[in-house]
Amino acid sequence: MDRTLIRNFSIIAHIDHGKSTLADRILEVTGAVDKRQMRAQLLDSMDLERERGITIKASAVTVWHTYQGRKYQLNLIDTPGHVDFNYEVQKSLQACEGALLLVDCSQGVEAQTVANAYLAIECNLEILPVLNKIDLPHARPDEIVEEIENAVGVDATDALKVSGKTGAGVAELLDRIVERIPAPKGSPDAPLRALIFDAVYDEFRGIIVYLRVFEGSISERQVAHMLGTDRVYEAIELGCFTPTMKRTGGLTAGEVGYFISNIKTLGDVRIGDTITLHKGPKVEMLPGYRPPVHMVYADFYPTNNGDFEHLREGLETLSLSDSSFSYEPVTSEALGFGFRCGFLGLLHMEIVQERLEREHDLDMVQTAPTVTYRVKMAAGEEKEIHSPGQLPQPDKYEEVLEPYARITVMVPSEYIGPMMQICADHRAQFVRQDHLSATRVQLVYDIPLAEIIYDFYDKLKSSTRGYGTLNYEITGYKQGELVKLRILVNGAEVDALTTIVHKDQAEYRGRQIIKKLRKEIPRHLFEIALQAAIDSRVIARETISALRKDVLAKCYGGDVSRKRKLLEKQKEGKRRMRQVGNVDIPQKAFLSVLGGGEEDG
Amino acid sequence: MPASTARGLVCAVVSAALEHGVPEAGWTGDPGAGSAERARAVEAALASAQPSLYVHVPFCVTKCHYCDFYSLPAQGEPISATVDALLVEAEQRATPRPPTVFLGGGTPSLLSVTELARLLDRLDDLTGFRASAVEVTVECNPESLDEEKAACLLEHGATRVSIGFQSLHERTLELFGRAHTVDDSFRAYAAARAAGARNVNVDFIYAHPELTSEQWTRDLARIATLEPEHVSAYNLTFEEDTPFRRWLEQGRLQRSSEDVELEQFWTTRARLAASGLHAYEISNFARSGRECVHNERYWRNADYVGIGPSAVSHVAGLRRGNARSRAKWSADVEQRGCAAEWEERLAPRARLGETWWLGLRTRRGVEPARARALAGFDSGEDPCERAALDLARDGFLEAREGRYALSARGLPLADALARRFLA
Ligand SMILES: Nc1nc2c(ncn2[C@@H]2O[C@H](COP(=O)(O)OP(=O)(O)OP(=O)(O)O)[C@@H](O)[C@H]2O)c(=O)[nH]1
Ligand code: SF4
Ligand SMILES: [Mg+2]
Repeated sequence: MDRTLIRNFSIIAHIDHGKSTLADRILEVTGAVDKRQMRAQLLDSMDLERERGITIKASAVTVWHTYQGRKYQLNLIDTPGHVDFNYEVQKSLQACEGALLLVDCSQGVEAQTVANAYLAIECNLEILPVLNKIDLPHARPDEIVEEIENAVGVDATDALKVSGKTGAGVAELLDRIVERIPAPKGSPDAPLRALIFDAVYDEFRGIIVYLRVFEGSISERQVAHMLGTDRVYEAIELGCFTPTMKRTGGLTAGEVGYFISNIKTLGDVRIGDTITLHKGPKVEMLPGYRPPVHMVYADFYPTNNGDFEHLREGLETLSLSDSSFSYEPVTSEALGFGFRCGFLGLLHMEIVQERLEREHDLDMVQTAPTVTYRVKMAAGEEKEIHSPGQLPQPDKYEEVLEPYARITVMVPSEYIGPMMQICADHRAQFVRQDHLSATRVQLVYDIPLAEIIYDFYDKLKSSTRGYGTLNYEITGYKQGELVKLRILVNGAEVDALTTIVHKDQAEYRGRQIIKKLRKEIPRHLFEIALQAAIDSRVIARETISALRKDVLAKCYGGDVSRKRKLLEKQKEGKRRMRQVGNVDIPQKAFLSVLGGGEEDG
Repeated sequence: MPASTARGLVCAVVSAALEHGVPEAGWTGDPGAGSAERARAVEAALASAQPSLYVHVPFCVTKCHYCDFYSLPAQGEPISATVDALLVEAEQRATPRPPTVFLGGGTPSLLSVTELARLLDRLDDLTGFRASAVEVTVECNPESLDEEKAACLLEHGATRVSIGFQSLHERTLELFGRAHTVDDSFRAYAAARAAGARNVNVDFIYAHPELTSEQWTRDLARIATLEPEHVSAYNLTFEEDTPFRRWLEQGRLQRSSEDVELEQFWTTRARLAASGLHAYEISNFARSGRECVHNERYWRNADYVGIGPSAVSHVAGLRRGNARSRAKWSADVEQRGCAAEWEERLAPRARLGETWWLGLRTRRGVEPARARALAGFDSGEDPCERAALDLARDGFLEAREGRYALSARGLPLADALARRFLA
């Protein structure tokens, strides 16, 4: 393939600005998918993506476009817009020479528009601003051009106006892509260097590796060498995505495609690794991906203790398709064996959990998400903790440092007041305020990350009627007045419910947690005391009174079997509860407490 | 005991029940009382290795709204053919010399005197129960029990009559969907007495939405004036697949509060005890020596053969149940020569747990060694005796003469405690 006829680009934007819908139109206009097979957001192939209407995982597709009599191969990557999937965007951008920066013409520039644009700039990509949803009655393209120039600093005067809904402007956009996005530079004659940017597990064909070839070429039956893991595999099948997999027999510099060998072991493939030819000339590894920064940690425990190995397999398989979360085994007295996992954000955590439950048929309990704290020990050294339980006794350390983030909130001007109130309630410090246009403002604050993961985002959304958007980046660590909040049932600590909170919020949080527990723990034969404590000081208390009546009125010969089975089933339910001290706590109680959110009890 | 002292005692028990919820003693009265001869016969029947006999007559006049027993409205049903089929099954299954017999349902009294006589006579031919059984009960409902029928029952071998009163309030009988009035119940009771019945049970339901505790206390006094030998009083249960359950779920009926249920539970025990009717099981009360031997055998996990649709048998560790359909049952009896649709044989540990669960419902309680022997449990430490020790220490059980029984504290928690014993 003549690389001057190849264009590699990603579509980037804020969430819901229409990336996947524009990709649909591109697939249609180029004839990659015929009208009959078309469905909305075709590239969102995961059930979860379709249900939630958002893209979670980037997907690549090859389409063909004829421009001035020549046939061009366009390799397009549709990326997710949510801040948590930023890492996917970064990965996609590394496989491209250009990016379409899509902006919804009625919403305007939002937090991820800016954040993703900067990622593309960092990768030295050619950025094409595109004004989308031009069909909407409230479209205000001229203002948006101004917003783009103010917030991102790229020239948007000749930005194309398109509609992913009607298809207006899409053919023109394809021409513009060919004209403006540079062809890949790598030489097809150089030694092979290809980047593994994704992989999926297929029951029958083993692991399918997704590649971007930067230099050189590879064809079937040649032997590939993965430099990072130092493994060799014969290329059994090579091809591209059209969007279904289409065998081409080989891949050359500039192309994006897939590689199938007989790879069965999940650990053998690493996303970001470089592939070259076995026994070919030595090559330098491609830069690969920088390790993801995990914002939040939470523990996953299988509901059924026997499912631990099953959970491990699930995590291994999933990490192939999503390399951005981490996991390591942990043990909890209350919840048994599980894994501590690191995520890019709360939605990411939720998605990983749901995918494990669906794709691997697992039932899990998850602990409250927590950030990474740093503890300055009395002895002088500093250590990181990923779980509240790891916080030592108060006399053992000097201070606790917590991660801070600089947040950028973009809101229509009328919501500045409520937004500032929320920031004040969450220990945020004002940095500055910029006007993006006559009606939109950008607020910048410094805030403890723990505040964001608790309920900040929900509050932001609800008090701006969904118009406020948020971007955040970790800026560093600061000392915080933090305490360990412990929950005790009849005097025994429920380790899974321990949290680290700011001292001013401890009492409120403690009260909330035990109120929820009170609702979910069934009455026992004895009274149960629920306490929230900071160190050894009890700050809130509730009691669950003893069970008073539980007896079948009738039991005769004909009933024995059925009623015994009923009792046995109830007993089985009890057995599945977690025992802490002498109290049985149902899974539901953990879920309700760990589910967060405010609720009066 | 002089009457005044008795009343004083009652008041103490009642006020204890009402004020503190729980009286001091879980059980009153004395198990093996009555005449020495009767007591010996009862003990022998309880211990007998011969299975008891239960016969299920699957018809009622109408279906009561709370009831989940298997029974069909009798109108248009092949009653005589059903009696035939019962007798065919009895030929196949009934074992000789049953220590007790129970004709239940459904409403056995709904059968004509001719059918009843035929049924009892043939059962006696097959098993010889008239000579062997210490107790032969027939369940009756007020709308179908008159003196003639009662006399017929007694003449053909019945020794005990059970009458379903359920309530002393017309409105409640209507809510329950019963086919009789309060007067009918009293008339039926009088008829049974007139015919010479010397062992009569009356059935009641309390803690239903219309019954206040004051009313129930008055009802209990009225029940006592009947001077029955036995009372069964059940806390209303909203059984699955009944109109009551549906109404509960739809919000048309309310469950009584736990306080009301407990109050009525303890009031029942205190009031009836004061009239000489002592609780010997969660919901059963009797004059000393008039406890229902047949049912006591169930709670001892002893053997019995059940005849009729939905009936269950328990013989030598094997429990088998007949189809809950008259048509399927009679076809099974006639074509397969066996009506059992399911069976269950429990492992020793499960049987041990079951024996404890059942036994703990009673005043007699459980004797650990007997439970082990019955269950065939001999592998190491007895987990049930262990659990009993723990619960006795916490005050939920009482140990007396090597037996464990529920304490007053444990009584209303019988099921929660039972779960500790089950496998
Ligand atoms: N009116 C109009 N609606 C559009 C247009 N493009 C997309 N939409 C709608 O906008 C919503 C979001 O579209 P998507 O294509 O899923 O947006 P996205 O950018 O891929 O979203 P994420 O992948 O979650 O970041 C959907 O309801 C689309 O139907 C357009 O040009 N005009
Ligand atoms: S009479 Fe007895 S068996 Fe028949 S429906 Fe009523 S409660 Fe049930
Ligand atoms: Mg999308």
